[in-house]
Amino acid sequence: MRVDEDKVREWVEYFREAREIRRRYANWDFIKSQPLNVRVALEYYIETGDFRTAARIAGMGVDEFVDMAKDLAGIPSVG
Amino acid sequence: MVNAIADTSFLIDWIRYSKSKLIFKLFNLIYIPENVLNEIKSERALIWVSEGLEEGGLAIFPELPEISREALDLVVRSRRVPVRPVDYPEAFCLVVGRRLNFTVLTENGGAIALKNYDPEYSGVEVLRGIDIIYRLWRLNHLNSFKDELELYQRETKHIYSRKDLIKYSDYLK
Repeated sequence: MRVDEDKVREWVEYFREAREIRRRYANWDFIKSQPLNVRVALEYYIETGDFRTAARIAGMGVDEFVDMAKDLAGIPSVG
Repeated sequence: MVNAIADTSFLIDWIRYSKSKLIFKLFNLIYIPENVLNEIKSERALIWVSEGLEEGGLAIFPELPEISREALDLVVRSRRVPVRPVDYPEAFCLVVGRRLNFTVLTENGGAIALKNYDPEYSGVEVLRGIDIIYRLWRLNHLNSFKDELELYQRETKHIYSRKDLIKYSDYLK
């Protein structure tokens, strides 16, 4: 695949900024209080923004996981 | 009016917005792929989709083998680039957008990035919630772009980054 490498570098920075926002807003007390699979899923989501894999780790539906992340764990969707 | 196709990331956020039904003023029909429908489980999302189907603003897009194959190829290709890749549902929407000239509705960073760095998909129109709100405001369906964007971000718990907001900075002062 032919890609625009300058744009790829811009997107690397964009996703880094998004990760920082998710980390900053996260309710870490809530996250740490969760069962292992949910805690790992939320931490994975914060680091990657990959809600689909995170939902699988948590054993939840995709929209159920994102709603939980937003409403209970304080993690916004970014970007 | 054109047709659109929406992925999971867009629907999850958009349906939390109290004026979400306004989107039907912008598109002739919004398609939801079967694979996206299969990911929706919450009561709020299921009610929004079922109402949209009843009222004729939404339709289900079938899983067509030719598009599925191309979407799977796009997933593999995107994983060779060192940024967030696209998953199958987003790839499916991008392929439909390119082949049928549909607008793609997404909040998925991987899909938005791919349109930007992959020349093959640069012609696909990809819109996010912020773009929809801007268009609704320009068509006088909303009173204030700035106020409405703040409401959207508050209700949906979606934060747009500096890079996203720069595009609209003239209208956010």
